[in-house]
Amino acid sequence: MAYVIAAPCIDNNDQSCVSVCPVDCITADLSVDRKFYIDPEGCIDCGSCESACPHQAIFRAKDLPRQWADFAWIDATWFNDPDAAREAVNGIESAA
Amino acid sequence: MTAMAIRDVVTPTRPAVQPGPARPGLEPNATLSARVDLTASIARFVVRPDDGVGAFEPGQYFALGLTVDDRPLLRPYSTSSVRGTRTELEFLIRLVPDGAFTPRLWILRVGDRLRMGRAKGLFTLGPDDPRTYLFVATGTGLAPCVSMLQSLVRDDAEGSVGSGGGAAAPGAVSASPRAIIVHGVSRVDELAYRDRLERLAADRSDVRYVPVVSRPADPANAGWAGLTGRLDGGLARICDTHGLEPAHSVAYICGNPEMITAARETLAAGGFAAEAIVSEQYWPIA
Repeated sequence: MAYVIAAPCIDNNDQSCVSVCPVDCITADLSVDRKFYIDPEGCIDCGSCESACPHQAIFRAKDLPRQWADFAWIDATWFNDPDAAREAVNGIESAA
Repeated sequence: MTAMAIRDVVTPTRPAVQPGPARPGLEPNATLSARVDLTASIARFVVRPDDGVGAFEPGQYFALGLTVDDRPLLRPYSTSSVRGTRTELEFLIRLVPDGAFTPRLWILRVGDRLRMGRAKGLFTLGPDDPRTYLFVATGTGLAPCVSMLQSLVRDDAEGSVGSGGGAAAPGAVSASPRAIIVHGVSRVDELAYRDRLERLAADRSDVRYVPVVSRPADPANAGWAGLTGRLDGGLARICDTHGLEPAHSVAYICGNPEMITAARETLAAGGFAAEAIVSEQYWPIA
């Protein structure tokens, strides 16, 4: 069970989660991405990112608020088809 | 990265590991420069980053990574190397036979490539702390404690903190130890860094090394004359034996979560303040 970065991350570009992830599984291309993404295959479920995020944007996948349920798919998709993930993010109203 | 006891290890066959770029920034950037197998399931890996070792604090960890099926696979491991190491770092790692990472790590040979991230983690020594250090570790949780103890001893020798400003004279009797390192294992051959820690304790009378073997009846432990039993159960006695004063001590605990919980309770009952107990769990991941 991985962690997921949801809507509050959009357009915030805070990188606290990146700096604490012990396995470097959080990433983004800031020239085009509006949020960061957690690789569900790499996440070791330590929870460091959740407590580091100043925007409370990170959740265990099973604890994602209903309105942000799509972000589990979005994060996973980014690592195989980043354009599809970006398109989905652009279709979601920023929570910032 | 786990402190769970692993027995009856089966040597893994070589699965498909394809070092190479998978995601920008996670390409292999280091070489396995040495490896020492202590047992079938515990080994010391020495990793040499292409661009040298960046700054780190004793107790911190680094992500080690391999590329598996074109995807990066990384796990965090605390280094046992002393602060200021510039060319290569050492890691004490336990094989998890059914894990995703360690069976692949185990088949690496000297010269193979892997990824090493930068230093992370908050389980570190406080600066210029004159208190007595109590390091408590089980299994491979010893690694960050070895890094911290070696750095502490060197800092003492070079600086003015603790032990009256330098190393205690060999053979001198010290009522208040500078550091006690307690290492709990199941079998004697799992006492990693035993020689190094025994030398440290022999060189400085105010540094104590206390190995504890939990399964004295195991034939592999025949001849063991040291302490036996569960580490957490004997911790209070160890503190008393070595004259540790809780009000003037700080404890660093690293290992499996159950041990940490028990050790915290023991130390708190013995007079340690909550802020004088620092711990790091080894994630139960493979």
